[in-house]
Amino acid sequence: MLNYVGKRLLASVLTLLIILTVVFALMRQMPIEGYFDNFDKVAKPVVEAKLQQLGLRDPLWVQLKNFYAGLLQGDLGISNRYAVGVNIGSIIKAKAPVSIRMGLFSMALSLLVGIPLGAKMARSKSKIWDKLGTGFIVFINAVPAAVYYIYIQSYGSRLFNISMLFDMNNPVTWILPVVSMSLGSIAYYAMWLRRYMVDEMNKDYVKLARAKGVSGRNITMQHVFRNAFVPMIQYIPSSLLFTVAGSIYIESLYSIPGMGGLLVDVITRQDNTMVQTLVMIYASIGIIGMLLGDLLMAVIDPRISFSKVEGVR
Amino acid sequence: MSEPILQVKDLNIKFSLRGRVLHAIRGVSLDIHQGESLAIVGESGSGKSVLTKSFMGLLDANGWVDSGSIIFEGKDVANYKTEKEWLSIRGRKIAMVLQDPMTSLNPLKNIGKQIGEALFLHQGLKGAQAQERIREILLDVGIEDPQRRMKQYPHQFSGGMRQRVVIAIAIACQPQILICDEPTTALDVTIQAQILQLIRNLIKKYNLTTIYITHDLGVVANIADRIAVMYAGDIVEIGTCDEIFYAPKHPYTWALLSSLPQLGRKGEELFAIKGTPPNLFNEVAGDAFAPRNPFALNIDFKERPPYFDVSPTHRVRSWLLDERAPKVEPPESLKRIDAQGGSLYEFG
Repeated sequence: MLNYVGKRLLASVLTLLIILTVVFALMRQMPIEGYFDNFDKVAKPVVEAKLQQLGLRDPLWVQLKNFYAGLLQGDLGISNRYAVGVNIGSIIKAKAPVSIRMGLFSMALSLLVGIPLGAKMARSKSKIWDKLGTGFIVFINAVPAAVYYIYIQSYGSRLFNISMLFDMNNPVTWILPVVSMSLGSIAYYAMWLRRYMVDEMNKDYVKLARAKGVSGRNITMQHVFRNAFVPMIQYIPSSLLFTVAGSIYIESLYSIPGMGGLLVDVITRQDNTMVQTLVMIYASIGIIGMLLGDLLMAVIDPRISFSKVEGVR
Repeated sequence: MSEPILQVKDLNIKFSLRGRVLHAIRGVSLDIHQGESLAIVGESGSGKSVLTKSFMGLLDANGWVDSGSIIFEGKDVANYKTEKEWLSIRGRKIAMVLQDPMTSLNPLKNIGKQIGEALFLHQGLKGAQAQERIREILLDVGIEDPQRRMKQYPHQFSGGMRQRVVIAIAIACQPQILICDEPTTALDVTIQAQILQLIRNLIKKYNLTTIYITHDLGVVANIADRIAVMYAGDIVEIGTCDEIFYAPKHPYTWALLSSLPQLGRKGEELFAIKGTPPNLFNEVAGDAFAPRNPFALNIDFKERPPYFDVSPTHRVRSWLLDERAPKVEPPESLKRIDAQGGSLYEFG
């Protein structure tokens, strides 16, 4: 197990370093306008002086060294166009908690509804629950999200008699965006859990468990569910971490001051430093999420970290 | 012979498949006696597994007992409907060993837990008591170093070792009847012999009644006291091991025995039964084996033969045994069983 963790950890760190370096190198190819709020009006010598000051005229390896040194000290750089002169770290600090909170609520809701739904569908395969669930899944996957998001917003706010927009201080207004965000993942969890559970239920170990005298309920809970959940658990840490990215559509629909759309925003505004920082953060989250997912899977499934050293006899 | 521990009377089992009804077991009657080892042989699809699964309520959801009874401990379990009723039997009184050990164990639970689950369910054993019993059982099935082995997972065991674990689970609660559904089919020959030996030892140690399903006649010769030959959902001949091997009476049994490769002669083609088994979606008229039977009489196509008693232990369902039927001699090749009888018993 330790061996496996070590190997996986090393691979992740290496991948992260490669990605950070590649992103950094690519960003050096961007036009220098991206470092100025009003490039056309700035005189050439001033431009040169600012580039010097930002260290962009240094040799590439010095720039790379400074960049890593800054990262180690937690310095994410300074925005030059999106919010001139503001530390990027503080921009994120203001926006991320909102997205994370909404994201966590939505994830909790998706798991709490999606997993029982999937399990129930698998247990009553081809019966009414399964059919209702399938109907829901098909609806969510077939109808563009924008359509039912808008219905939920307008009818939901009228039904509960609340504001259509998000209000940080009024938790009731959080409900509609969280529910909207969850529908897609509820359908996703239910669909895959049902599928994996139905697969598992046809396996021989379930037949043996029945012959052993385990009740149908306990077979589902203690044997089938855990086996079916292994392929799903891999993605849970990623989903958890990516709540920080927020949801572009929901956040703009309800005017939630979160991270959603920030990356798109800074790309259209050509804020080079911020694009670089955000891309790096999301890439790192992706890698860390996958690492945690793999480790979680190894904890649940003893076959994964099994090394030849222990030996099969 | 001792009292029957389980009595099957005129059992009919049907399945509904794609809107059609398949008559899988067609009026089987069978007594299983305390302490005996009964083998059920027959080709694939003859209903061997379905018959035994019905003793434990393990028929697939689309199958049902249509009529007949299965008397076990004075109760007709064929009437059992709820899971609760079946749980009083499954694993506790009748246990089963499945065919493929590679897939019969839960890959995510260590084997100690998988054996312990049965102990807890049927005997309420927990903690140190359960651990002690698990160690005993593992030693019983020939797994050394049980303290270490019980914490290991199925993937850390080879096929033969896994089958030992499956057997350990089956005998954990000292069932009265052990059903072995082709337990050695998926294993290689040397391991087969070891597992057979193990099952024989356990039969003795735990005083088990066993039902052994197989299509390997060598294995049968090795383990069975009695043999039931099944064809198309019916027992066509049943008798002691000697009666079936040395004095078979049913043409299907003849054909089955003639198919033994050991009886072939070098250079001759191996014997194969021509044709295919009847389609059990349709009601079978007369003797199900008649269309493939070179000795078939006219009546075989019209009326189903009754059982004829050859001896108190030997019953055959064939019109050939009627006193009005012409005398028919079994195929020449079967005499070779006599000649090499000993070697057949050693086989496997």
